[in-house]
Amino acid sequence: MIPASIAAGSDRFGLGWRRELAVGILSHLDRIDVVEVMADDLFDAPRRERRSLRTLAAQTSVVLHGVSLGAASSAPVETERLDKIARLCAEVEPQFWSEHLAFVRGGGVEIGHLTAPPRTLATVEGAAANLNRARSIVGTAPLVENIATLIDPPGSDRDEVTWISEILATSDCPMLLDLHNLYANGLNFGADPMEALAQLPMDRVAAVHLAGGRWIGASGARRLLDDHLHDVPEPIYDLLAEVGARAPYPVTVILERDGRYPPIELLLDQLERARRSLAAGRARRAARTDRGAA
Amino acid sequence: MSTARFEAFLARIYVDAEARARFLADPRGEAMRAGLAEREVSALEKIDRVGLELAAQSLQRKRRRRFRRLFHTR
Repeated sequence: MIPASIAAGSDRFGLGWRRELAVGILSHLDRIDVVEVMADDLFDAPRRERRSLRTLAAQTSVVLHGVSLGAASSAPVETERLDKIARLCAEVEPQFWSEHLAFVRGGGVEIGHLTAPPRTLATVEGAAANLNRARSIVGTAPLVENIATLIDPPGSDRDEVTWISEILATSDCPMLLDLHNLYANGLNFGADPMEALAQLPMDRVAAVHLAGGRWIGASGARRLLDDHLHDVPEPIYDLLAEVGARAPYPVTVILERDGRYPPIELLLDQLERARRSLAAGRARRAARTDRGAA
Repeated sequence: MSTARFEAFLARIYVDAEARARFLADPRGEAMRAGLAEREVSALEKIDRVGLELAAQSLQRKRRRRFRRLFHTR
């Protein structure tokens, strides 16, 4: 379910907070509605860094984004991690916090990054149990994000859209829809991302991630890698317009960039492009609603 | 499917190059030695090999980048 505070708001656009972008972000808060901060970077940060985050939160809207929970697993998430998220949320009071539908460890092995688990009933149930625990310990449910994968998850018995939809239904969490992840998985494994938007429960979408990537691998066996090091490609803006046409509630759109940082103006231009795309979709939605009412 | 043991097996072949090489040389044998159920063994025999190699390389790069960030930003 979408929290009332989000449902009552308006579409917003922002950037992922990175040290290298800090000056650019702070100099352009008039063009940035919201900043997404990596929660894991702050769990054990010195007091001055946490104080800086509170200062940032006093100047603009902040949301927290986690990467290491590993919620989509048949194994229970670690209570210590949830306690850290709870403490950070209490300190910063973000509008929302989010995590990934990924598994990041198994049998004592830390994978070190987001990995797609087998898409099965067991991981649906495991994710729902983990997300319910997260809600109970942190006090609010996370927005859950679809991830990109270079490997077709072994042992899966359902497709990505079905799996995500089942988790959303059983956990009652809102969704952070990563459009480049959806796009990359579609190209890599033969699914149509536009069709996926028609099938996903768009009344659960409260936030959107935009990013870029690059092709890797030998010819004939290439895959699109979601690396956050490249500009947002044109098809992602088309998907964002479709989100605008389909999602009934306001969305927070975050542009993610993790390296090869361009001048801040270029990122702001991409944010403006995103505003126009979402607005075009919203206009389509409004026209449809008007026709329905006539 | 998706037992904790299966997820642990996947984690191992994603991060450990030697374990991955042993697995790719004998998927059924390695999966059975890990005590996986027959349907899990069967799923691993059909693994997306191109994806496995690309994912393992990508995960290694990301782990290195994360370590660099951790040790150079504080």
